[in-house]
Amino acid sequence: MKKKILLATTGSPASFGAARVAFEMAKRYDAELLLFHVAGVPKKGFSYQEVNDVRSQETVQVDDDYMAWVEEELKNTYAKQLEECKNARIILATGLPHREILRAARDEDVDMIIMGAHSGDSSDIYSKGYPGSTLQRVAKAAKCPVMTVHRESASYMGGFSHIVFATDFSKQSESAFKYALSMAKEFDCEMTLFHALDITSKVLAQSDIEDKLITLRKRLRDVYGPKMGDFKNFEVDVWEGNPYVEIVKIARERMADLIVLAHNTRELDPEQARMGSTLEQVLLRANCPVVSVNRPDKV
Amino acid sequence: MYNFLTGPMVWITFLVVVVGLTYHVVTYIRGLDWRLDRVGYRPNMQHGLKGAARSIFFWILPWGSHGWRAKPLFTLLFFSFHIGLLFTPIFLEAHNIMLKDSWGIRLPGISAGLADFLSWVVVIGGIFLILRRIAYPEVRILTSAYDYMLIVIAVSPFLTGLIARYNVGNYDFWLLIHIITGHVWLLSLVFTKLNHVVLFFLSRAQLGMDYGIKRGGMKGTQMTW
Amino acid sequence: MPEGILCNKQPIVTDEQLKLTLGDKSGKQYYAEMEQLEVDTDKLWSTIQNTMKSRLKTWLNICAKCGLCADSCFLYECNDRDPRQVPSAKIHATLGEIVKRKGKVDNAFMRKCMDIAWSWCTCCNRCGQFCPHGIDMGVMFSYTRGLLFSQGFVPWELKIGSGMHRVYKAQMDVTTEDWVDTCEWMADENSEEWPGLEIPVDKEDADIMYTLNAREAKHYPEDIAEAAILFHVAGENWTVPSEGWEQTSLTIFAGDWEGCKQQVLHVYDAIERLRPKRVVGTECGHAHRATVIEGPYWAGREDGQPPRPYIHYVEWLAEMLRTGRIKIDPAKRIKEPVTLQDSCNYVRNQGLKNITREIMSYLVEPGYFVEMAPNKEYNYCCGGGGGFNGIGKYRPQRNIALLKKREQILATGCKLVVAPCHNCWDAIRDLEEEYPIGIRWSFLKPLVIKMMIVPDHLKPQDEEGEEE
Repeated sequence: MKKKILLATTGSPASFGAARVAFEMAKRYDAELLLFHVAGVPKKGFSYQEVNDVRSQETVQVDDDYMAWVEEELKNTYAKQLEECKNARIILATGLPHREILRAARDEDVDMIIMGAHSGDSSDIYSKGYPGSTLQRVAKAAKCPVMTVHRESASYMGGFSHIVFATDFSKQSESAFKYALSMAKEFDCEMTLFHALDITSKVLAQSDIEDKLITLRKRLRDVYGPKMGDFKNFEVDVWEGNPYVEIVKIARERMADLIVLAHNTRELDPEQARMGSTLEQVLLRANCPVVSVNRPDKV
Repeated sequence: MYNFLTGPMVWITFLVVVVGLTYHVVTYIRGLDWRLDRVGYRPNMQHGLKGAARSIFFWILPWGSHGWRAKPLFTLLFFSFHIGLLFTPIFLEAHNIMLKDSWGIRLPGISAGLADFLSWVVVIGGIFLILRRIAYPEVRILTSAYDYMLIVIAVSPFLTGLIARYNVGNYDFWLLIHIITGHVWLLSLVFTKLNHVVLFFLSRAQLGMDYGIKRGGMKGTQMTW
Repeated sequence: MPEGILCNKQPIVTDEQLKLTLGDKSGKQYYAEMEQLEVDTDKLWSTIQNTMKSRLKTWLNICAKCGLCADSCFLYECNDRDPRQVPSAKIHATLGEIVKRKGKVDNAFMRKCMDIAWSWCTCCNRCGQFCPHGIDMGVMFSYTRGLLFSQGFVPWELKIGSGMHRVYKAQMDVTTEDWVDTCEWMADENSEEWPGLEIPVDKEDADIMYTLNAREAKHYPEDIAEAAILFHVAGENWTVPSEGWEQTSLTIFAGDWEGCKQQVLHVYDAIERLRPKRVVGTECGHAHRATVIEGPYWAGREDGQPPRPYIHYVEWLAEMLRTGRIKIDPAKRIKEPVTLQDSCNYVRNQGLKNITREIMSYLVEPGYFVEMAPNKEYNYCCGGGGGFNGIGKYRPQRNIALLKKREQILATGCKLVVAPCHNCWDAIRDLEEEYPIGIRWSFLKPLVIKMMIVPDHLKPQDEEGEEE
């Protein structure tokens, strides 16, 4: 299983769900947990040590005292979990959150990043000049799978019993598939290979839709079937509709406890991407952790 | 007294003015330093001179520069004042007669009416400049007694000349005062801030070269500095 | 001679001293020590005598005190037209007074001079355009800053900034290893999306050597990746130097002229070493001024030119768009009112005003580009120039200074501001933080990347996702 898990946390309630999953996974698989926190976003033209504290949004001076205080706060927040998790380390940084998460993931060569879907405060001016949310940027650029847990209720972790793998047949989906399959094998659980036919942007006759669904089911089987090896516990399905809605719906219907999909959108314009990104929408709506895989390196 | 002031003293004053202003010009140019000013004057002389010429031209042209256009009324006041200040003494008929008497040359003269008008422009312009210094806080803060004194020095030959011309009071007395203030006026060109009569051109030329060489001129950008 | 441990007349030259000074919270001890710092009046006066020649001396002497510079100064306007903020009044209250007293000034006076030199003037040089005598108070305040720096009266952050340049050869503690690693990282991070993307380090005889702002390496390396992508798409043979890549110069803000020289020589050394045909700098104003406009003089180059042709990013970009090496998809052009921030340091100081407008003509749907008023070489400073953005002590004054740009942007009615200068970009970001008016702002690189037509051979292969 995974050797190093990086939990990117704000220490705020918004990230408790992610934390719970991360600690659970680390404990269960004896992984090293890196509790990573960006203490502040630089102010004043990025000069030196003044930052906006991510939680209070107040301007603070970064020095040893402040960092020690932040570390203490984190230790208190996760006191119980840290007690049970022997192999944990706290890493603090200052900078722009997505960049520092990526930097730490690269420096530490982590196998998985786990984070909340948003920091709990979306009005942060410092992320405004940069396209995309922290999550989008991390999911797009990370070399390892990125697991997001949007809410605490989605963080129930009793192992995985059903994984929904949603594909759009992109290159990135190949990596996501490999990851989903390895997880399914690992946990010996069911897996649904799923594709959603996007009918939101065009008007199709019902018969056309039916035809397409049949073709796509066949395509799913043709593409992924041979790669399944001796893993038999899977089914294939294609639904039509708005992709993110359909993904969330099937996950709910199959009582999936993990959704795996690729993050392959190139659109980073905040307004457009936030509305249009299937990944983002799935994250916000799913009732289970969602893993996004973009690169083949760590699957 | 009168004879001295219109005879030898004229020579002395003219000599001081010529030598003094030449001194200002020479020391200014010698004191330019490509390292300190960070302008490569010599290797880029061509661009520099072009910039200098542009800079001077647009600033001696009324409303020629953006700066002048920003303050149109002041510009009107300022140019009238300076035109009166420079044209009247040179082209005044009375001055020309004296010039003819002593050197045998004369410049084209201007009519008495125009001369009067220009002198009044200077006097009234001077008054407005003083009022401006009092009225506007942003000018008041800069103003010291010295600045008022300069206006007085600049205007007094014109005021006294007008008084003498209109025969108000004792003509001889006022003529004498006119001549004395005239000398003070001329000598001030060397010894006071009125040295901007030459330094204006040099300073403008310098900034013009700065822009002509370093700040865009060599990139082909035409800016009216 | 009372010299502080942190606040003294010596520039920071060791990492140890740098860390020590950085460790001082908000410069508390530093500024406390400054109150005890002795003024070396003899040295001050001899420095003035050696360095104040024709130009500055004449400027001080012939100022007609006419007050025409008043309205040219945005700080005068933002501060309720406080007469003390009239440029002429400011310089005569500081440099003028030091000269008048032949350098015999005390500690309190020097501290007052520091306040004025760094929080009442951003050295934007705008006033120089409104003075009939061509007196440029920005130049004079830069000079005054030099005098103050040499006496140790410099804001804490800029003392550190100067030290960073002297110790790390960059405005931030980015080492050569960090930098080269960042290049690898960015190439790697974007290699999926941009097959074949490279950030070649130390390639000799390339067509272009690229230099940038240390902050990009430290905090938002995306900018480096974006530059790489655009060079890649334009098919440039380019490189970055492993040493001498830092183009900025906080030393110019600090008045550390010796540091300025050292910094620009690092870049010129890289140019000599790698022999590129020309050099392109990033979207930064003061970096361009420090390295291309003033730099040659610090480096002792009498012709005033860098060792190789050295252009601003906007010049390179305009050339690419003009020649079609980068093509904009007409469908993706900006179709909302958009305005442009002219950076003092390369518009007023190098006349690149039409270049940026040419770029806008490619990026913006006709009819949507709105000029600020005033604009081009008469544009106002963003409010954070000359180091203003970075000085904690003068934050309140800086926030007031932002009001002019706010007013200008509001008058355009635009919600998008293109700011091809790090400093302006920062100031406009802070503007939105201090006085939210619902604007967005951007460098040119991300805009162009979003809008350009990517040639098929540069696209990732077998990209068939999202079909249907």
